[in-house]
Amino acid sequence: MTTPAISIRDVTMDYPTPDGVNHVLDGVSYDVAEGHFVSIVGPSGVGKTTLLRLLTGLATPTGGEIQVRGQRLTSSPEGLAVVLQDYTRSLMPWLTVEKNIALPLRNAKLSRTATRERVEESLAEVGLTGTGRSYPWQLSGGMQQRVSIARAIAVRPSILVMDEPFASVDAQTRFDLEDLVLKVRDDFGITTLMVTHDIDEAVYLSDEIVVLYGKPAVVRDIVKIDIPFPRSQMTTRNDHRFADLRTHVYGMVRGLE
Amino acid sequence: MPAIIRRTPAGVISTIVALLIWQFIGSFGPLAGDSFATATEAITALAGLLTDSVFWAAVGQTLHMAILGFIISIAVAVPLGLLIGLSRFSYRSSKFTFDFFKVIPPIVIIPIAILAIGPNITMGVVLVIFANVFAVAIQTAYGVRDTDPVLLETMRCYRFNVIQQVLHARLPSAAPQISVAIRLAASAALIVAVVAGLVGGAPGLGNLLMRYQSGGQVDKTYAVLLALGIFGILVSRLIVRAQRRIIFWTGR
Repeated sequence: MTTPAISIRDVTMDYPTPDGVNHVLDGVSYDVAEGHFVSIVGPSGVGKTTLLRLLTGLATPTGGEIQVRGQRLTSSPEGLAVVLQDYTRSLMPWLTVEKNIALPLRNAKLSRTATRERVEESLAEVGLTGTGRSYPWQLSGGMQQRVSIARAIAVRPSILVMDEPFASVDAQTRFDLEDLVLKVRDDFGITTLMVTHDIDEAVYLSDEIVVLYGKPAVVRDIVKIDIPFPRSQMTTRNDHRFADLRTHVYGMVRGLE
Repeated sequence: MPAIIRRTPAGVISTIVALLIWQFIGSFGPLAGDSFATATEAITALAGLLTDSVFWAAVGQTLHMAILGFIISIAVAVPLGLLIGLSRFSYRSSKFTFDFFKVIPPIVIIPIAILAIGPNITMGVVLVIFANVFAVAIQTAYGVRDTDPVLLETMRCYRFNVIQQVLHARLPSAAPQISVAIRLAASAALIVAVVAGLVGGAPGLGNLLMRYQSGGQVDKTYAVLLALGIFGILVSRLIVRAQRRIIFWTGR
């Protein structure tokens, strides 16, 4: 058996609050296969973002452990890249687009030319060639999120974590960004974890969907999305299989099944 | 409104009006007399002072105290505030002490400063530092603490160390707060440097003001006041302009 990219083992998370202990996660276990795209869905407040914080090493579970390629996670793992919902807060307004993308590359110790090439490549990948000298706030919301994605792929990550990445952009831009993410995954084969409240989006993008449910949350179901790639906004979303899967996942999230 | 008024900047009109009122009160009002200089007298006296080496020496001494004190305050307070702001414990424990010193007006420590240092330029510099260092430090600490947690978490995910987080996130995030503190400090530096001469016997414009006043040179006393006002405006204009260039991403 090959080592999974990420192994979540019996993870429990409790928060102390003035009203007593808040049990968020209770014995969550799941293995993310190398190169897979996995979405985490569940009702609001179920603990999706908590799980994501554990996966990025920003928080440590109260019980159980998370392993990345067999190594127990204690801080943010090497090869991690993140794309967050609020691009205005995670990009730096005082740096140009290209400097925003180049900043995490400092830790990769690339030469100046290599850095510049990497930035250009990343901008080209997300369709933003020629905007490197702009400041993020001079771009539209969708373009700013593209910058976040470019910054993520520039570090050549082995794990990409996205928290509601398309929740702050309009519907049309959301479809474009979803297809961009499919393309990036195709080009780089990055193991990707995404938290979303949009079930259609989860079905459209994922290999597998993890449904969290309950208080404290447990893994209610793991849904394999057996719709072949390449997927497209025009055909995939009209597929019967797509409709069946989204109905199934929707029922789970609403506690109807 | 006549075109000539519409095209004149508002500041110019209000200045002219203020000067006219001043002239009127000084000529006909209850204050008219030898102890009150009119606008024309003050301006004429100021023109005279501009060719007077005594005046320029005093300007030099006041600016020396103000600028040196200002630079030392910033150089000490910004790194200090940065360190204090890095941990919640140090921020909370320093805040009370710093707020305490911040609200003490520099004028009340003049007696102590004269005893400790003597009525000279060094005392003026120390007063300027005392007036500014606490406020700038606490404001810097506040700005550093106020850095967006989302930005800091993004940096942690990309494995930036603490020093990188300070240089690339906390310091630029705090820049608008720091710059407000610096702007206030620049004005305060000028005021305190004058007060040091006025009350504390340090050299400079404050001292000159005292000498003109006690010597009954009413027009020159007013001329120095006028000069101080002009310096104050120049200083704050200069700083605001520099800030707009440095902190270009705010106020969009």
